[in-house]
Parts: sequence; structure tokens; C-alpha cells
Amino acid sequence: MSERALGIQYSTPAQEREAVTLGMWAFLATEVLFFGALIAAYLNYRIWFGSDFIAAARMTKVVLGTANTAVLLTSSACMAMAVTTFDAGSKRAPVLWLIATALLGLAFVVIKGTEWFLEYREHLVPALNFDVARYGGVAEIFFVFYFCATGLHALHLLIGICLVSWVAIRIGRGSLVPGGSTTRLIGLYWHFVDIVWIFLFPLIYLAGRNG
Amino acid sequence: MTGRAVLRCWLALMLLLAATTASAFVPLGSLNLPISLSIAVTKALIVLLFFMELRSSRALVRAFAAAGFFWLLIMITLTGADYWHRTDARAPIDQAYQR
Amino acid sequence: MHAPVRQSYLNASVGIRSWLLTTDHKRIALLYFAGITFFFFVGGIAASLIRLELITPQGNLGSPDFYNRLFTMHGIIMVWFFLIPSIPTTMGNFILPMMIGARDLAFPRLNLLSWYLYIIGGLITLTALLLGGVDTGWTFYEPYSTFYATGYVILTVFGIFVSGFSSILTGLNFIVTVHKLRAPGMTWYRLPVFVWSTYATSVILVLATPVLAMTLLMLLAERVLHVGIFSPQLGGDPLLFQHMFWFYSHPAVYIMILPSMGVISEIVPVFSSKSLFGYYFVVWCSIAIAVIGFLVWGHHMFVAGQSLYASLAFSFLSYLVAVPSAIKVFNWVATMHEGWIRFNAPMLYAFGFIGLFTIGGLTGLMLAALAVDVHVTDTYFVVAHFHYIMVGGAVMGFFAGLHYWWPKISGRLYPDYWARFAAILAFFGFNLTFFPQFILGYLGMPRRYQSYPPEFQIWHVLSSAGASILAVGYALPLFYFAWSILKGPRAPSNPWGATGLEWSTASPPPPENFAESPTVIRPPYQYDRGKPCMQAADV
Repeated sequence: MSERALGIQYSTPAQEREAVTLGMWAFLATEVLFFGALIAAYLNYRIWFGSDFIAAARMTKVVLGTANTAVLLTSSACMAMAVTTFDAGSKRAPVLWLIATALLGLAFVVIKGTEWFLEYREHLVPALNFDVARYGGVAEIFFVFYFCATGLHALHLLIGICLVSWVAIRIGRGSLVPGGSTTRLIGLYWHFVDIVWIFLFPLIYLAGRNG
Repeated sequence: MTGRAVLRCWLALMLLLAATTASAFVPLGSLNLPISLSIAVTKALIVLLFFMELRSSRALVRAFAAAGFFWLLIMITLTGADYWHRTDARAPIDQAYQR
Repeated sequence: MHAPVRQSYLNASVGIRSWLLTTDHKRIALLYFAGITFFFFVGGIAASLIRLELITPQGNLGSPDFYNRLFTMHGIIMVWFFLIPSIPTTMGNFILPMMIGARDLAFPRLNLLSWYLYIIGGLITLTALLLGGVDTGWTFYEPYSTFYATGYVILTVFGIFVSGFSSILTGLNFIVTVHKLRAPGMTWYRLPVFVWSTYATSVILVLATPVLAMTLLMLLAERVLHVGIFSPQLGGDPLLFQHMFWFYSHPAVYIMILPSMGVISEIVPVFSSKSLFGYYFVVWCSIAIAVIGFLVWGHHMFVAGQSLYASLAFSFLSYLVAVPSAIKVFNWVATMHEGWIRFNAPMLYAFGFIGLFTIGGLTGLMLAALAVDVHVTDTYFVVAHFHYIMVGGAVMGFFAGLHYWWPKISGRLYPDYWARFAAILAFFGFNLTFFPQFILGYLGMPRRYQSYPPEFQIWHVLSSAGASILAVGYALPLFYFAWSILKGPRAPSNPWGATGLEWSTASPPPPENFAESPTVIRPPYQYDRGKPCMQAADV
């Protein structure tokens, strides 16, 4: 951001960088409460419904889910490498790492889409073709949570992929130089989307497997 | 962060992922959920402290980061207070109907 | 001979684009002013129709369904499109940066985006309400709102959802601004209480509103998909919706009252020519209210079916949250003690606030008692309680701040005697409107009912009579404020003899707020033998 003029409210670029960093963390706090509300609702239902709710979780695809978690964790590592190499003054390396991040993000979305397709085939999609007679009402509630949570997460991920690609292009063109905060801030967003998944994964995929 | 630090974190995350998935299949009764959540918290802390650089951030930034999670804990705990303690006891007036 | 017009933020640039694309926090504040005034009128018209209807025991202003849509509209508009934005987006936007010696907020373009989100959300909901609205009450309880209500639930809820992002971004902006943009010498404990109150409000905005966003999203999912996640058909729990809804909506009422408390904390010292008593207490009580306010939401659900254990916890915590509010009231009164009181309009509104908020707060404690609440819940007792806080408290505080900062914002003085008259009229009108409602509620009159037993009529007639007086009290400022802009005398930079940084710059201020960035040399509200000691150096 050092190539743009400083706003009249800031006296030094360092002050603006600190302000923007605080702003991003405040925004991430709102996202914690946003996804957290859904998770809180999920946990309360898990306590209240008990075994019926947990039984529904067994119908999720744990292999694909685990693979997806590995993909997203690796993408976070790539993002961290992008920031590190960018700080070190390199130009080509961060662009490559950012492309890797975005590609892994896309891989996640593809795997997720596959899961959703499989769930559609198994009549597990509420409002579309959920087989209430076979699975029960509590399972349908579980799958509403499942699709809401993974859908909202995927939406945030798609936004992240766009942002990461945009940063990669700007670094490649030279319009983003080290010393600013844009790359780091987009990195914070990406890591946060990863953290959301870190918590969604055990709650959605790993429940009820200990039978 | 250095490249080696990123690699070490990535390895730790992969190991934790393997651990959490594997432990889910081990019959430990009601312990499975706390174990998987603890591993999730550990993974999240690695991402927060190292990838998101909270380890080297000012206290104010860390306070901002902690605030969201702390408030979420309030929500989960207090709503839990309701759901943990729901009973199916009927009100006295309903009991009259029951008989 | 007219003096040459000095350049201020009002005339620095002209044309509609310079207003609709502005990033100047002062202009954005005025844009918000226009919006909330408009919505205040819409909500007020709904209130007038309600009070008109309730003069007679039978329904005669339309069907019961129409009445349901009326009070729903009143609640939604007043809560989300008037009260929640009111002070933060107008006075917070305009005055807060000046109070801390900043030239603008941390993120000016985000500020403009906030305004557009507010307007767009407001227009979406307004459209839904004009098309026929909803009859669910502003609380949208499920499964009624999702499975059985006819009407424009989806559109209404979507408008509220959009405007929620306006709240979040505004809160975020204020928090970062207070942390990073304070002028040299402006330490945390030299900040005026209005800044602390707005900061506390912003914390609530940032942490509570996202939960509302998710709750509304789930409501929409249930209504659109017809899958009852909160409804009994599949085994869902309607109470879970209420938990999620009130987790936001209770802190929301602190969003509505904290800024007003901040305004009162500014006004009382000035018009007592005396330092605020117990500054540290007042400041930390603001934070305490914001934090404890997140722990009490279950008191809206005492009879809804939540576990008794939870009800006990929430009842106890609700008692706790009243303590910091009471401490503030004591501090305001102690400030006035042995002060040199001036009875200008802002001070009269402040008096009104202190008295009415105290009554509202005490009746809140009555409602926090489980046994009492079982008797009076969903009656007019509750309606009276929250109107004492929201109208007698928050709206009075809004008018107090309006009258206090009007010279700074417009550069004009208004006729003080008309303003005092309006304040007194509003005070009497308010009490006549809402005190009978305590009696009504205690006697058993349920809320949200169009028709009622004839023995309640006398109280309703008194209440409606009071409403007509209150309406005049609220309408009067329109006239003398308009007059002040056209013909009022020009205001000096510090007409009230206050001490804050905003009073050491011109009225109205230049676009960059201060000719030179101020340096702060002392805490706020310092008076030396009745004379103000300005916070800024060299004034």
C-alpha cells in the first residue's frame, strides 16, 4: 500500500499499517461469531438430540473430508510461504506460492462438490430429495447444518481464491511491493477460512465413528 | 517465518490431522469429542500463532484475536446451560391431565 | 454587510455527487441523519396508528391482522433502522473523530459503504412493509414466522440482514479509530466518556451482529427450504431460534442505550460547570454494561421452556447488569451536586433521561425476578419498561445530543426557549403515554392485542392522549432547527463553555476538522471556578 497516498487521518504509513491490521482482526472476530453461532447451534442440538444426531454424521464422507482438510492445511502453508518469500524481496516465488494456494483452494471446492454430488445421489439433500422416511427428521436437521456450514465455508473460500489470485496478479505486475500490508492481510483471511474448516471437520465428519 | 518453520508447522498439522481422524475410530465413548476438539484447537493455535504471526504480534492484536473466540465460548456455555439441563418434567397443571 | 462565508465542511464542495460519494465523516453523519429521521417518522406513524386504534376496546382501524402488521412494522423500523444506528452513526460519526483530535475515521470509504448498506437494507425492508408487511412481531419467533405467517418475511428479513453489515462495519471503524487515531496527549483516561461509550457500543456491534446475521440466515433457510430446523415437525427446537435471536437482541438494547449514556455524561458536567464525578467508574461501567449485557439474554425466555437452571443463571446475571447502570446514575447526580446548573435545552433532556431511565431500569429489575416475570411477561408492563428505556432513555439522549451539538454541526444557534418548551412537552407527553401502561400490564392487559376488555379503556385513552402530546414535543424541533439554519444567529466555536477538543475548532468545522492537529494537555471536564479548561493546548 506504500504506493498510494496516505489518508489525511494518518500521520505515518506505519500507523496506517497497524490500523489496517487491527481492522482485519476485528473483521475476523466477526467471522468467528458468524460461523460460531452456527457451531453453537449445532453443539446444542448434539447435546439435545444425542445419538440420532450423531448417527446422521456417520453418513458424511470421512475419506473425502480428511483429504480436503489436508488440502486446506497445505494451502495455508503455501500462503505462509508466499508472505515469507514476498517479505524477503522475491517476486517470482510469492506469485508461484499464491498460485499454489489458489489451486489447492480450487481442489478443495472440487472435492466438496464431489461430496455434495454423492450426497445428492444418496438422497441426503434437504429440501431437494432428503429421504425423511428412511433417515429420520433429526438426520435432516443435521444435513441442513451440514450444507449451511460447508456451503458458507465454500463461499468464503471462493472469495479467498479470488483475492489470492488478485494479489498474485498485482505482485506479478509489480503494483504491489513489499512493505505494504495487502498480501499479509489476505493471508490472514485465508488462514482464517482454514481455521473454520479445522473446527467444522471433526464436528461434521468424525462424530459417531467410534461404534 | 522462515521456510523451514513453515515446513515444520505443515508437518505438525498433517500429523495432527492423521491423529484426529484415526482417534475417531477408536471406541473411547464420550471422550472422542473432547479429544478431536482438543486436536482441532491445537491445529488452530499453530495456524494462529505461526501462520498468522500472533506469536510475534503486539498484545493488542492478540486481544482482538482472542475476543471473538472468548465471546463464542460465552454463547456456547450459556446456551449449553439450557440444553444440558432440559428435563421432560411436566408442569404441575399438565400432570393433572396425565392422570 | 454580510461577513464572508468561511469554508466549512458544508460548503467545501458542492453538488449531489460530492455528498453521495463523500468520505468526510461529517457529511456521512448528515447522510445518516436524513436516513434515521425518515425512519423515525415511518415508525412514528405506525405508533400513532397503534395508539389511535387502542383508544377503543374494539378494533376499528382495520382487521386484527392489519394491527399485527402495524406493531411489527413499528418494532422493526424503530429497532433496526432508527434506534440502533441513531447516535453512533450521526453523533458518533460526526463528533467522535473530533473528540479524539483526528481528521477522519480510520476507514473513510468503509464508512460510506456502511451508509449505503444501511439505506439499501432499509429500502428493502420498507418495500416489504409497504407491500403488506409481516405479522410476526419484530422477534420473528419460529415456527410461526417460517411455516405459518403469510406476508413478506423473506424480503423483510433480508433487508435487516443487509443493514446488519452496516452496523458491523461502523463498529469496526470506531474501534480501530479510537485505538489508532488519537491526537498526541490523548491518552485513554483523557478520552471523553462519549468516546468510551461509543467504543463499548462498537464492541457490541462487532461481536453481536454477526450472530444475528447467522440467525436470520437460518430463518431464511427454514422459510425458503421448508425444512423445520427450529420447528417441531422434524423434532427441532423453537427455543434454539430464540437463544440465537436474543443472544444478539439483548446486547442490541445496550447498543441503543450506551451512546445515550455517553451523551448525558458529556452534557451534565458542562451544564453543571463541574467535573464529571467518578470518571473512572463511569468509564469502566460502560465497558461492564457491554460485557455483562452479553450474559443476560435468557431473561426474554423465562416462560418459553428453557431449563430452570438456565433461567436462574440469567435472572441472577440480569440483576448484575443493572449495577453499572445505577452507578452511572449516581455519578451524574453527584456531578450536579454543588454545581452551577444551567437549564438550557440539552440539560433539560438530560434531566428527563436520568429520571426516566431510572424508572425504566428499576422496572427491568422487577422483570428480572422470575416470579414477577411469570405474571407480567407479554403484558404492557414489559412494553412500558422497554419504552421507558428506549424512548425515555435512548431517544431523550438522542435529542439531548442533537441540541447539544447542533451549533457545532450546523454553525447556527436555535431559540433556546422553544427548545426547552419542546423538552418539557416531550417529558410530560412521554410519562402520560407510558406510565398508564405499567398499570395496564400489571392488571393483565396483554401486549400485541388489538381489542381488549372495556375495563382497560381508561388507561389506553390516557396513554393515547399522552402520545399526541409526545408527538408535538418531537415535531417542534423540526421547526426551530429549520428556522436556525435559515435565520439563526451564527454559533461561536464553544457556545456552551465545554472543554472537549470538538469545541476548540470552528462551528461548523473545516473539512479537515482542525487547522492544525491539536495537542491534548489535560483530562476532560476540568473547570476552574466555573470556567472551562480546554483539553486542547493553546486555546
